[in-house]
Order: sequence, then C-alpha cells, then structure tokens
Amino acid sequence: MRRIFVPLFALLLAAPAISFAQGLDSLDIQFHGYATQSFLYTNVNNWNTTDSSSGSAAWTEAVVNLTSVPSPKLRVGVQGRYLLLGSTGNTISLDWAQADYKVNEKFGFRVGKVKTPTGLLNETQDIDPAHVWCLLPSSIYAISNRGSILAHFGGVTYGAVPIGEKGGRVDYRGYGGQRVLAATEALFLSLNDLGIGVPNGLTGPMYGGALRYHTPIPGLMVGASEDSEHVQGPITLATFSGTLYGSHFLQPSFFSQYDRKRLLVAGEYTRQALKNTLAFTNGPTIIAPRDQRDWYAMATYKVVNKLMAGTYYSSLMDLAEAQSTSRFQKDWAFSGRFDATPYLYLKAEEHLIDGTYIGFYTSSNPAGLQPRTKMTLLKAGVSF
Amino acid sequence: MRKQIFLSLALLAAAIAGSRAQAQVAVVANPSIKATQVNKADLRDVFTGASSSLAGTHATPVLLKSGPATSAFLSAYVGKTDAAFLASWRSLVFSGQASMPRSVDSDATVVQFVSSHPGAVGYIAENAPHEGVKVLAVK
Repeated sequence: MRRIFVPLFALLLAAPAISFAQGLDSLDIQFHGYATQSFLYTNVNNWNTTDSSSGSAAWTEAVVNLTSVPSPKLRVGVQGRYLLLGSTGNTISLDWAQADYKVNEKFGFRVGKVKTPTGLLNETQDIDPAHVWCLLPSSIYAISNRGSILAHFGGVTYGAVPIGEKGGRVDYRGYGGQRVLAATEALFLSLNDLGIGVPNGLTGPMYGGALRYHTPIPGLMVGASEDSEHVQGPITLATFSGTLYGSHFLQPSFFSQYDRKRLLVAGEYTRQALKNTLAFTNGPTIIAPRDQRDWYAMATYKVVNKLMAGTYYSSLMDLAEAQSTSRFQKDWAFSGRFDATPYLYLKAEEHLIDGTYIGFYTSSNPAGLQPRTKMTLLKAGVSF
Repeated sequence: MRKQIFLSLALLAAAIAGSRAQAQVAVVANPSIKATQVNKADLRDVFTGASSSLAGTHATPVLLKSGPATSAFLSAYVGKTDAAFLASWRSLVFSGQASMPRSVDSDATVVQFVSSHPGAVGYIAENAPHEGVKVLAVK
C-alpha cells in the first residue's frame, strides 16, 4: 500500500507546483518547523536507551513541514522528523505525507501517510510545542511506543455535525489502511531484551473511528474511539526463525477534556487486550497475552501570561503479567512551561515513577531495575 | 459590609474590563460573507480551525501579530490566551489537520488582505479605518 500512496502523494504535491496558471501566493505555500533539545536525569534506572542516571542530553527532535493550499478545498503537505533518543533513532523519518480534500464541514478525507485519529492526544502526541508536558502520560502515550500508533498508510474521513441550534457539535473520524512498524521502532526493545529480533518490522491492516462531542457547555468535550489492528512479521530467536502473529485486537478509549481560558482538565481510559503468538519453525511457540488497563488525569493552569503549570497522574496495569514491579507503572508528573517569546519556550518536569513496565529495559540497566525512579527533564524548544 | 463593597467593586471592575476587551476590536470580513451579524461560537470555530465556514460562506481567518488587539480579540471571542491559541494552531499544523492562518503586521494590512480575498475574516482596532470591508456584529 505504501508503494501506491507515496507516488500518489508525490503526484498531488507536484501538481500545484507545476501549475503555470497559479502564482505562489495563491498556492498558499507554508513552511513550518520546530526543534527541541532535552536534558534527562534519573536517580536510578536508565530511561529508555539513554544514560539518564548519569545525566543525558540524548533526546533531540527536529521537525519541518511544507504545505500548500492550491484550492480552498484541497490541501497537500508533507512533514519529516529527525529524532535521537538515547541509542535509538538518529534518523530522519516521514511523519505524514497527505492530500486533504474537504468537501464541506460535514465531510472531508485525507489520503497518504496520515495521522491516526484515535484517543484524545494520539494525533498530537509527538508535537512538543502543543503541550505543557515534556512527556505525555506514559500509560497511553509512551514515547517508546508512539511510532507504532502515530500514523498509518491509508486514509481518514472526517467531519463535524451540529446538534441543533444549541446542542453542540459532534466531530467524527473514520480511518483505515495499513500499519507499518519499522524494525527500528523502540517498541521492539522489550522483545530484544528477551533475545527476540524483529528484523523487518511488522505490518498489517488496521481500521477504527472516533467521536468527539463538543457539548453546549463552553470548553467541554467528551469522546470515544475504537482502534483495531492485526499486524504480523518475521522474528528470530537464537538460531530459530519464525513469525509473530499479532492477535486481531480492538482497543476502546474513552476521554474527556475541559479547556476554558486559563484551565485545562483532561482524562482518558483505554483497554488493550490481546494475545500475540510467536511461532518459531522447528522451535517453540510462545503465546504472549496482554491485558492492559491504562488511564490518566491531567490539569494545566496558565499562571501568568507566559507561564503554565500542570500535573498529571498516569496509571498502567497489565493484568496478564505476573505479580511484580514490571507489571505496572504509576507516574506523578509536575510540569512548568515558560514561553519566552512566541517562538522560544522552556520546560521543566519532575516525575515520580513507581514500576518499570514501560521505558525501562534490562539492556540499558544491566545491574537490574529498581522499582521506583525519580526523573527530571529540562527541555528547550523553538518553533516557527 | 466592607467586604461586600470590595467584592462588588471587584465584580464591577471585572465587568468593565470584559466589556472594554470586547469594545477594543472590530471584526471585519470580505463583503462576500453575506451575514452582517455572526454568533460568537461560529466566530470562535473559524479562528480555532474547527470550522472553515461562516454564515454559509467559506471563511479564511487572518490574524494580527501579537499585540493588544490580538489579546483583546482572543480573550473576548476565542477564550484563549495568546500562547494557548498559538499552541492549539501548532497542534493542527504539525498533525496535518490545518494550515496556519495568515498573520500580518498592522490593521491596514488586515483590511487590505480581507478586502481583496473573498471569505477572509479578521479583526482590527475598533477605531482603525476599514474601507472595503464590512464590520460584523458579534452576538
């Protein structure tokens, strides 16, 4: 499917560029970007693949995008990203590349590599300038997993339907296509810890939908989404080779947000129940069940014009895991963001983490994992 | 009693401040937008990227670069501070859901852009000249 959409997108992007009938101004070509540099420190346990217990600056991101609006209903664009996180990344990848046609307020569609509109924050979870936080709640938006759910090859339909004169508005999204998980995804680090390699990544069909009801109460939105995926791909274990068959799972999410003037309060709950099968030729077959119940509650407040503060509590529990500190992760975060100018911001964040389910790997912590971690993050970002 | 007087004065001051914020800016539109009056929710939706039509006409918002008029407009009609407003647009732009609205330097440039682009809607200081555009009443 990627083979179909990439040339299609290139054609769509090139079409307005070679149109002699239109000047550059009427194409509304825009170029935006941002870059961030972070510093991490943990009192114990190295976070992800960084050397954070000694202090680490190995988290750098830079994003650029180019969009054009050749007609009021059509928008085409592409966005690339450089990410370095510990020993992972250090590459440039395609965030999205799409053509968006909005027929009217009630119906539009995007095709190409598109953001997957599931949950409250999935579409924006990698957009640092949009958030107060250095890290979003890891129970649902762990940075190590984000590459697996951020975008897909295929399409999204969207629209907004008003509910009478004063009944608010419902936004809907429906999507489908193919999930492509590259072999370099940090998601596979936990498998690598067990000696299992995923040399070609995983791919498979996926679909889902989301509804967001913007209630008549100003600033209050409630919503739900459902995501379905079915990925598979080759794996290795010592001298064995085989296939990982991801079970066909459904992941419901329920969320709400109140965003009014200086205050933002939000929360989300999701459940992920699946059974992956790792079948090795002439070797073992491993059934890997997962039954995750994840949620968070967050609040931010604009203290003064340039300063925002926030806190959240994030909880992840995998009931399919054996009783241990690697079965759960609970995280209190306290964050501040200072917008020095419209283009430059600074963030500081403290995490009190209980459990080691996500973001902590034995390969990064050969001496063993401690059950509790304090983590301090400092981040500077520029955006234009 | 003294506490009640203080509270009343504080509320009065807040009300005056609120009405002044609304009175400091005028919402202007290209004459192709048929309505002469729009409601606050529809205007907010256009300026937050939630909608691209106003009174049944395709609408394109145009912003003034940060300053008193922008702060007053965002406070009165959008319900966001400057930084929160910019952050919400960045989330749309970097997730591929929208293009950033055009941002210009002066009231005169807003008027010039709005008058020459069908569907354009912007805001200017209340007492700024606005030849070629219509002033929308916001209810």
